[in-house]
Amino acid sequence: MRILTVDDSRTMLAMLRHALGGAGFEVLQAEDGQQGLDLLKNESVDLVITDINMPVMDGIEFIKNVRASGLYSSLPILILTTESSQEKRDLGRAAGGTGWIVKPFDPEKLISVIHRVLH
Amino acid sequence: MSDLDDFKATYFDECSELLLELEEQFAAIEAGDSTSDRLNAVFRAIHSIKGGGGAFGFSALVGFAHAYETLLDHVRDGKVDLTEPVVALCIRANDLVADFVKAAKDGVTLAEGYGSDEKAQFDVLTAAEGEEETLEEFDLDFVPVMVQVGPKTLPADPSTFTPDAAADHFDVAPLSPSDLGWLVRFVPQPELYARANDPLLLIRELGRLGAVEIRARVDDVPLLGDFEGMASYCAWDIFVSGDKVTRAAIEEIFEFVEGLCELDLREASRHELGPLTLPPQAAEVFDDGPSLADLAAEIKPKAPTAGQAVEPVAPPPEGAAEGDRRNGIHSIRVDLDKIDRVVNMVGELVITQSMLTQQMDESLRAQYQELVRGLEVLAQTTRGLQDSVMSIRAQPVKTVFSRMPRLVRELAVKTGKKIRLETVGENTEIDKTIIEQLSDPLTHMIRNSADHGIEGPEKRLGLGKSDTGVIRLSAEQSGGNIIIAVEDDGGGINRDRVLQVARERGVVGADQQLTDDQTDQLIFAPGFSTASEVSDLSGRGVGMDVVLSNIKKIGGSVQVKSWPGKGTRMTLRLPLTLAVLDVMLVTVAGSPYVIPLSTIVETMQCMRANFSRMPTGGQVLKVRGEYVQVVDLAQRFAMPTSVDDASRFVVLCEAEGGQKIALVVDGIIGQQQVVIKSLEENFQSIEGIAGGTILGDGNVALIVDVQGIKVSSGLAHKSAA
Repeated sequence: MRILTVDDSRTMLAMLRHALGGAGFEVLQAEDGQQGLDLLKNESVDLVITDINMPVMDGIEFIKNVRASGLYSSLPILILTTESSQEKRDLGRAAGGTGWIVKPFDPEKLISVIHRVLH
Repeated sequence: MSDLDDFKATYFDECSELLLELEEQFAAIEAGDSTSDRLNAVFRAIHSIKGGGGAFGFSALVGFAHAYETLLDHVRDGKVDLTEPVVALCIRANDLVADFVKAAKDGVTLAEGYGSDEKAQFDVLTAAEGEEETLEEFDLDFVPVMVQVGPKTLPADPSTFTPDAAADHFDVAPLSPSDLGWLVRFVPQPELYARANDPLLLIRELGRLGAVEIRARVDDVPLLGDFEGMASYCAWDIFVSGDKVTRAAIEEIFEFVEGLCELDLREASRHELGPLTLPPQAAEVFDDGPSLADLAAEIKPKAPTAGQAVEPVAPPPEGAAEGDRRNGIHSIRVDLDKIDRVVNMVGELVITQSMLTQQMDESLRAQYQELVRGLEVLAQTTRGLQDSVMSIRAQPVKTVFSRMPRLVRELAVKTGKKIRLETVGENTEIDKTIIEQLSDPLTHMIRNSADHGIEGPEKRLGLGKSDTGVIRLSAEQSGGNIIIAVEDDGGGINRDRVLQVARERGVVGADQQLTDDQTDQLIFAPGFSTASEVSDLSGRGVGMDVVLSNIKKIGGSVQVKSWPGKGTRMTLRLPLTLAVLDVMLVTVAGSPYVIPLSTIVETMQCMRANFSRMPTGGQVLKVRGEYVQVVDLAQRFAMPTSVDDASRFVVLCEAEGGQKIALVVDGIIGQQQVVIKSLEENFQSIEGIAGGTILGDGNVALIVDVQGIKVSSGLAHKSAA
């Protein structure tokens, strides 16, 4: 199982890699939405975890682009955010996000949320 | 967990970068450039600092950053205007965030209520909009209500997970199917599928909670002719029972699909689920084929097999994936030591290459033409390799420049002057080591400009200038050098005062006459300071001589030019890199010496040179109407030479300040690149010698310090140590 993590914070990317790697997932990393999209062109992944606030291309735009491409209509995308406000979630979901993870996350909880959306 | 320390290290690294970025952005915002891109970048920076801080439990940092972030969010949304006081508050907040980060890093607890004044101001600013849910949102962010669902350990491969198998993973075995439990009526809408949610997974999750029994409701499935690809026809009634089954637990499972399905949840008894029946239409859908009931019988209970149908993309062949992965990643982080090792090795390679080239004498050249061609290619490739390696070490000067706006702000406050800093060419790249050494000299030069250069606002107005003084910090590449200039539009150097002080201190002899340029250079003389009283700012017991010696240490030079009443410009000329130098190889009394190519203006034969003897015994050279001091290197280094005067050469060099000096050498061998070895580290410092190098043939050659020679021969300003 491969998971693409998209976040402009290296700390967050490192922690995700650790938590996900520890659970046996293969982790790909991108630092913004555009990098994420570029990666998806060449890589097959089973799940995407993306931050919302990023430079170049933010998470909302990234999700819209992923869904619009048509290739990934059934690719689960989790939004990673500290902003648990309904507004952000709704934006993410309207764009096509499958679910969300609230930062800071507990690794165990993270894995359990992932299993909720991963085949 | 030692990984935690690694994460923390990454986090603090990242924090320093983000704080630097904040400084940069606010410098621009303060200058009136508050585009939404900038505001977003600022918000993201604080957001990231907060996010990471939360993960490590730095609650003081997170609390402050959150309040600040909320303010920035309001600013970004236009709910709070970015007035001058708000910008000032933000800049102060950046400092506080830096303090919080530092405290977290050092494991220190800041005083109770540190930053609470600013925090209160954030709250006032953000609450002014009548947003009372800010606090509530805070709760949501940082005290997420976590409901423990499902087993603690999950199966390694989720695809083998079945509701039945779940029983094995529970800490407490689920109850045997009880007659009492929860009935979930679940009708997905097409939007649910469009977001890659999958009913199967939700049902699987329910299976982790307890025992499930499922009835598919297929009444709405139309005949094939009426079937729409993107529509949603299936619904499920699920009866779930067990100890852990609560409304909250079930709701959490359906959290992501709330609003994307009809969900009816109630406590019920098992028999309400009804018997397993199939609608009569099933037979009509499949006229000739198997009935839906037959198909249902064939479907194994192992649910997730259906998942394979929605695999996003077929995995590419192994090799292709490797290559593509590389394409996706744009940068890597490398330990500086590793790069330095490469730089050094490339340096040695350059030496070896030039050694090989030197060993090719004429007869060998004629004999082995292929080899000669190969060596030429090798030289080219080596040069390319060297450039590439050097560019790895290069960094934009932005990293130092971005610290200066704060300095200027502080200086303006302390001096009561109005000062604006302009920066140009921040993206000019220069060797990392040089950048690290630049901060102090630049700080000092800017202090000097603010303190001595720029006049007070009233005085400026009286002189017909704008009340705000300008300090301009610029960087550009010029040939093999980087030129960094600090200019101000202040009063210029007070030459009378400088000369007076210099005479008092014996830096300049009483009867010695100096040109304006030479007078200006005096500010770099050791211990020299013209400020009548030692000010808090540029005083500090060190003068501009420290700037000069710091810059010389990294192979650069400083030049000052002043226009009375109009301003001063100090220019730093720095090498692009420290490690390798383009030089001219010469001989003096049989020993090889090298002269940095960047200082050489021209060379000529002595017999063609126009020397004249001065009454003092010294010699000058007339070059295009200009008289240039002559230094015979053999005499200078006290080494007898047997080469006859007429066949010697003159190397005309330009020292700092544009002053020329003519060096007389015995012979010129050629031009090459050398790797600089420090004399101080390997031997001791020698006046007139900047360092040493090992030549291609293994001989050691000394690098002539043109500036040092000029200074010690008494014509230049008395500054060098």
